[in-house]
Amino acid sequence: MTRRHSGRWGKWLVAGPPLVYLFVFFAIPALIMVVASFRTPGDFGGLAPLVGADGEIDLNLESYTRFFEDALYAQIFVKSFWYALATTLICLVLAYPLATLIANSERRRRDLLLLLVILPFWSNFLIRIYAWMIILGPNAALARTLNGVLGAFGQEPVSLLFSAFAVLVCLVYVHLPFMVLPLYANLEKHDQALLDAAQDLGANGWQRFWRITFPLSLPGVYAGSALVFIPAFGIFAIPDILGGPDDSLIGNVIKQQFLETRDWPFGSVLSIVLTASALAFAALAAWVGRRGVGRLAAGDA
Amino acid sequence: MTRILAVVFALLSLPALAKDPLHLYNWNNYIAPETVKRFEEQCNCEVVQTYYSDNEELLAKLAAGAKGYDVLVPTGNAVQALIRGKQLRPLDAKALPNMKNVDPAYLDTPFDPGNKYSVPYAMSTTIIGYNDAKMKELGLPTDTWAVIFDPKYLAKVKGRVTVLDSPNELFAAALKYLGYSANDTDEKHWKEAADVIKRAKPYWAAFNASSYIKELTVGNIWLVHGYSNDIFQANLDAQAAGRKFQILQGMPKEGAVLAVDNMVLHKDAPRPDLGLKFINFMLDGKNSAELTNLIGSGNPNLDAAKYIKPELKAYPAIFPPKQVQAKLEQLHDLTPAQRRLRSRMWTEIKAR
Repeated sequence: MTRRHSGRWGKWLVAGPPLVYLFVFFAIPALIMVVASFRTPGDFGGLAPLVGADGEIDLNLESYTRFFEDALYAQIFVKSFWYALATTLICLVLAYPLATLIANSERRRRDLLLLLVILPFWSNFLIRIYAWMIILGPNAALARTLNGVLGAFGQEPVSLLFSAFAVLVCLVYVHLPFMVLPLYANLEKHDQALLDAAQDLGANGWQRFWRITFPLSLPGVYAGSALVFIPAFGIFAIPDILGGPDDSLIGNVIKQQFLETRDWPFGSVLSIVLTASALAFAALAAWVGRRGVGRLAAGDA
Repeated sequence: MTRILAVVFALLSLPALAKDPLHLYNWNNYIAPETVKRFEEQCNCEVVQTYYSDNEELLAKLAAGAKGYDVLVPTGNAVQALIRGKQLRPLDAKALPNMKNVDPAYLDTPFDPGNKYSVPYAMSTTIIGYNDAKMKELGLPTDTWAVIFDPKYLAKVKGRVTVLDSPNELFAAALKYLGYSANDTDEKHWKEAADVIKRAKPYWAAFNASSYIKELTVGNIWLVHGYSNDIFQANLDAQAAGRKFQILQGMPKEGAVLAVDNMVLHKDAPRPDLGLKFINFMLDGKNSAELTNLIGSGNPNLDAAKYIKPELKAYPAIFPPKQVQAKLEQLHDLTPAQRRLRSRMWTEIKAR
C-alpha cells in the first residue's frame, strides 16, 4: 500500500516539471491567442482595449468570418499542406533505406552514422538555409552543370534558387533527421529471427520486407511523419529566404499579420487553424499508428 | 591572440566595472563604433545595444510590453504609431542645444508636430539599385520605376530582379510609378498598383528583404528595389571583392519613399537623462557624419556636411538632387482597416 502510494508521488515528481512547463509555455500562450482571435486590432498595433469606452466588452467573430468567407486563405493552407505532405513523403523515401542501413550496421559504425545524422544540428538552422542559397545559386556548380545540360538539349536555362524546388529541397534537408531517428529507433529493435523464419518458409526479399519489416516499422513511420509534417506545415523562414515570388506559405501569411499588418486577431485565427490542423494530423497519425500496431498484435498483418 | 585575450579579459572584468548603462534599441550597424566609444568616454557610461531589423519588429515588441530601453530609433510612421500608442516620453528641449544643427526641412513633420517626442537621426530612400555593367550592356534606364514594373524592360532582366518583401514599400513604389502619392489611400488606386505588381511579378526572381545585398554583390541579381543604405553597402562589398562592376543607386524620377529615422525616448526609459545626453551628442555634426561615412545614410544634420567624405557627394540618396527632393515622401501609418485591405491584396499577390 505505502509502496504504491510513494510510486504515485514519484510519478508526479517526474511528470510534474514538464507538465508545468507545457502548461506555462504552451497552454497559456495558446489561450491568450484564442482570446486575441476574438478581439479587435488596435489603431497602432497590438489590440484594441478589451473593455471599450462605452463599457462594452469587445469580443467578436469578425476575424473568423473574414477567414471563412475568403477562399484565398484556405487556398494557401491547401498549398502549404501539399508542400508539407511532399516533404514528408520524400523524407520517408530517403530516410527508410538510411535508417535500415544504420540499424543493420555493426555497433561501432552505428554510433558514428547516427552522429553524422545529427551533425547538422550543430550549426544554426538559418545558417544552414543560407548555405543552400550558395549551393543553389546561379553561379554555383550545380546550376551551371544543369543549365549546361539543358542548353545542350536546346532548353532555356532554369533558376534553382528562389523557386519551389529550392523550398522543397531545403524543407527535406532540414527535416530529414526527424524522420531518420524515429525510424532507426524502431528498426533497430526488430527481431532478426522473424526474418529468418520467413526466409525458411520461402518468403523472398520483397515479401520479407513488405509483410514483416514494413508493418513492424509503422509506429516509427508515423512518429517520423508527424515530426516532419507538423513543423513543415507552419514554416516561414525557408520560403522567405529561398522561395520565389509565388512561394509564400501559410507561415509567411501569419508572420505578415503580426508584423507588417499588425493584425493580431487575424494572425491568431490563422495560427489557431494551423495548430488545430496540425493537431488533427497528429491525432490521425497516432490513431492510424495504434490501429496498425493493434492489427499486428492480432496477427492480422 | 593578444587581442582575443584582451577581449576575454574585458568580458571577465565587465561586472567589476559595471558603469551606468544606456540601453539603445537600434537598427543593426546604425552607429559608428568610434562614435559609441567617444560617447562612452564622455558620459562615463556604457552603451548597451540591441537590434531590430524592421519597424514592425520594434512595434510588435513594444506592443507586447518590452521594457528596459532608453533610446529607440524608429522611422517616421513608427514614431507616429508609438506616440499614439503612448509609448514615448516627451523630450526636454532645453537638454538638446544641438537641435539647432538639424535641417528645418526635416523638423515639425505631421508625424510629430513640434518635435515633442522625436529628433531626426539619419535617413534613407527606397530606390533602384543596379549592376552598372549589366544595365549598360542591356541598355536599360535606371532613373524610373518603369524598369522595375514595365514588362517591356523586365523581359531583358527576367529572373535577375528582386523587390522588397514589404507591402508598404512595394505598393508605394507602384503608386509612385502610376503617378499617385505614395500615401494615396484610394482603394481604386491600390487595385491599379496591385495589377502593376501582378503584371511584373513573373519577371522577378523573389521578394527579398535580406539577401539582396549579397546577391547584388556576387552578380546573381542585377536590379533591385531596395534601401539606399543596402545598395551603398552592396557596392562597398563588390569593390572590396574586386568585382568588375559597380552597384549604383538609381533615383527614380517619379519620386520615392523617404524614411527618416528618429531618436526617441521610451516611456519606461530607465535612464532618460543619459538618453537625452546621447541624443544631443548624436546631433553634433561630427558624430552624425560618422554614420553617413560608414553606411551611406542620408543626413538631416546641416552641421554634418563638412565632415562627410567628399567621394560620397555623388550619391543621390545621401544628397538628393533638389528636383527629386520635392518628390520624396515619408510613408504615413495606415488605419487598421486599410492595413487589412493591403494585407489581403498582398497575400493574394504573393499566393498566386
